[in-house]
Amino acid sequence: MIQRIATLCRYLTTSLLFSLTGVIYLIGTLVYYWLAFQQPSPEVSYFVLVIGLFGGAVTFLLTLSIASRANQAINFPLLVRLPSRVEYLAAVFLTAVTLGLLLQLLVGLIALLHNGPSLSLSQAVEIPPVWLAINILAAALALHASELVTAGWSRVYLYGALAVLLFLQSNHSQVMSWIGGRFLALGNWFNGLGITALNFPLRNLANWLSVNGNEWLARFIAFVFWPIQAITEATMNGYFSRAQALAPAVLLLYATIIFMLAADLFANKDLHLHE
Amino acid sequence: MIEVDRVTKAFYTVVAVNDLSLDVPEGEVIGVLGPNGAGKTTLFKLLAGFLKPDKGRIRAKRLQWPAIGYKPERLLFPNQMRVLAYLEMVAALSNVNSRDIRRVVYDSLSRVNLLDASQKQIRDCSKGMRQRLGLAQALIGDPPLLILDEPSNGLDPDGQAIIASHIQQLRQMGKTILLSSHQLHEVTQVCTHLIIMNQGQILYERPMAEALIEQPHALIRVNQPLAPVAALLQSLHPEVVIQEQEIVLNNEAMGLRRQVLSILLAAGYDILKVEQQRVTLAEVYAEATR
Repeated sequence: MIQRIATLCRYLTTSLLFSLTGVIYLIGTLVYYWLAFQQPSPEVSYFVLVIGLFGGAVTFLLTLSIASRANQAINFPLLVRLPSRVEYLAAVFLTAVTLGLLLQLLVGLIALLHNGPSLSLSQAVEIPPVWLAINILAAALALHASELVTAGWSRVYLYGALAVLLFLQSNHSQVMSWIGGRFLALGNWFNGLGITALNFPLRNLANWLSVNGNEWLARFIAFVFWPIQAITEATMNGYFSRAQALAPAVLLLYATIIFMLAADLFANKDLHLHE
Repeated sequence: MIEVDRVTKAFYTVVAVNDLSLDVPEGEVIGVLGPNGAGKTTLFKLLAGFLKPDKGRIRAKRLQWPAIGYKPERLLFPNQMRVLAYLEMVAALSNVNSRDIRRVVYDSLSRVNLLDASQKQIRDCSKGMRQRLGLAQALIGDPPLLILDEPSNGLDPDGQAIIASHIQQLRQMGKTILLSSHQLHEVTQVCTHLIIMNQGQILYERPMAEALIEQPHALIRVNQPLAPVAALLQSLHPEVVIQEQEIVLNNEAMGLRRQVLSILLAAGYDILKVEQQRVTLAEVYAEATR
């Protein structure tokens, strides 16, 4: 299995790098460095966040590019050779993560060599695992956006859920009080119809949603987004507390779940590769 | 080897394969014929596992991985690669031991007479070379089942003959082959079993030998016009067709030919030719898809 995945990774890497898209990625990386590191000797936190953001974004785009190449009909004879389609998806995923990390390290290395922040060895060793966790999550999410993996409405469901969570993160109290208000109005409407038995439970539900429901939702959303928040805070502080050190591992857990969903979709869908 | 049990596959409102059942026996070369859009490629993609049936199921019996070599209809390859590198990659994906990869690849190239092109970039290969490359990649890893979608599509007669001879060699090696083709003579030449499809269904399925002798004709040519005995001959059987100096017997009724010959000899005709004619595949095809 390792031989097959490594072979596919090599194939996908060369097909991307020896194409115009590969050159564009390389030029884009250098342009990003030039734009982001115009000021000499930036803060370490700036260095980590700016390159971390770049890594996540470039891995997302790389995953889309590689998945698009993998979704071509020239690959039918290769796919039929694999005992499991998931090996193919794993190769797409690993290629994107590896290339993303390499481009990220390229920016980091140039930034360090040219007026970059001074980092101790322990600081320098701590940074790549954090970046890697973000890149892996970005690659897993990008798989669902690609034509290769998506089946039916799957990407609408996943990105819709993500959009709802992001919306609720900043607007949860307004949303819960709006829902509470709707239940209250419904209770009043039943009351007007003479169905008083429903009015009381609906009022209770509306009150619960406005007070306790809002709190529960806030906690849930904070829990979901905790790893991102923890990594950002730790980077700004310059060190990871014990709890914050778990954040990259939680991101990897998210990525694993999202990748497993992608693998399940890919394994059971009709393959209509582009000619 | 593979059992297709009442499989249906539709794309939106178009039913490409409709309640189709098929048993693919081991060691047979099955020619699948049908007009464009009959569902042949969809059937092949279902067998290769690229598509999932909407209804029914496909069962593989005693097939060990790597089970299938697949040559798609379109000759699409990674053009930037060299022939050798491409086949080495296919070998690496096909459970070939890394020490044996080079040997297996050269073996496959020599089987399809493509050794000279091993260092060529695929984009520089001719159509014939690409067809043979398609066949070479399907052979790597020695899969027991080969699915060849129009293996000689677009080739000149020489190229078609080369492909047909390769398929015959594979047949002798005991491979199970499913092939679709619009070249009827190629199917007649290499296939042991015939399937004719249309509108997602199998209209005709028979061993090739049986298909071609199913309706034997006999042609009898004589030395002078048949008008004097025409009425007598036609009274024997409605399938006796009288032409100027020829009689075509479109029926295998026992003794019919002997009766016709006795009448002709008694009437003083010289028999110039008696020829047993087999129905052609084109006729079988036309009859099935009518």
